[in-house]
Amino acid sequence: MKRVVGVGAGIVLGAFVGLTLVAALGHTEPEPHPYGSPVGPEMPRDTGAGEMLVVVVGGVFETRAEAEAANAEMTFGDVAGYYVVPEAQFQGFVEQVGTPADFALVSAFRTDEGAREFAELAGFLGYPATILANRVRSLGGVYAGLGQEANPDGSGPLTGPVPESLP
Amino acid sequence: MSSTSSSPPAKRHRRRLAATAAVLALVPMLSGWHWAKLGWRDLHYNYPATPQSYDQIVNRFGQPCNADASAVWMSWTASDNGVTYTFRFHRKLGGYPTQMVAGKGGKSTNLDNDVYGHIQNAHLIGYTKSGIWGYNCRYVAGTTKWSTHAFGIAVDISSAYEPMGQCYSTRNKNFASIFKDHGWRWGLDFCDPMHFQYAFGY
Repeated sequence: MKRVVGVGAGIVLGAFVGLTLVAALGHTEPEPHPYGSPVGPEMPRDTGAGEMLVVVVGGVFETRAEAEAANAEMTFGDVAGYYVVPEAQFQGFVEQVGTPADFALVSAFRTDEGAREFAELAGFLGYPATILANRVRSLGGVYAGLGQEANPDGSGPLTGPVPESLP
Repeated sequence: MSSTSSSPPAKRHRRRLAATAAVLALVPMLSGWHWAKLGWRDLHYNYPATPQSYDQIVNRFGQPCNADASAVWMSWTASDNGVTYTFRFHRKLGGYPTQMVAGKGGKSTNLDNDVYGHIQNAHLIGYTKSGIWGYNCRYVAGTTKWSTHAFGIAVDISSAYEPMGQCYSTRNKNFASIFKDHGWRWGLDFCDPMHFQYAFGY
């Protein structure tokens, strides 16, 4: 009888010690590492064709390769910075830049406020950022960052034309 | 064995006891003085649950670039260049009036009072280096997907030293646990050690 009680007590004690060890040393299932790309929706590459846009310029270059190289040097942390575009895709751009070149680093906006905020960010990072004095007309072409600004009504991102951007 | 004079081991024992008692009494007093001096308390007031997906981010914090995403601001001085960075973030993550923070229309004490105060109080502010950013209505670099910065739920710290793509940390590792203890995820998990975000699964 004593033996049975002893074995029983040993099993209970062993189970208790085991559970205590598991609780103390065990971990929950590890999180996937790394997460990889964010899983949110991909936004359309809005070019604002035909609209009058505000453009922040980070530089102009004779070749795409030079522009790409300069852009690679200008990292904006983990958020999107400038985009390499042919100058010809904005009507009125060359006249304002004044430097003969074919490619530019730009980010385009529909509101002055959006352009100002981005120019401030670039300035803080020590990068050139000139807001062109006059709006330029978008002829479409490659994506130039449009859509990354707040809607003035405070509801979310600005995804369509505003009165100032309509020709 | 004499009962009137103590032997050397007994004396040592008494000294140890006295020293231990002194330390036990002094530590709370010193910590109390320290906290009172800074006027700070880790309040943990009204934190939103940390989202686990993009949909939960939108449900809890609204659309990217909405007015609440940039409603509250705070200043943070980098220890290396002495520049004070003023950045904005979501009103659900701070701006509630406390001993340290003036009321800014915010709804919780998370970032500006609790996280920042905790880093200050633990004397870890010296590890926060230049390049400190918050809200930005921008996509993730190289994508057209919204960055958590666009929701005002992400902060970059020491970005000059902890670049995106670097899978180790030299500065932010010293205080990352404080962010984690307050519901934040550290970007080192996806090789972005400058980045802290109030969201998982995105």
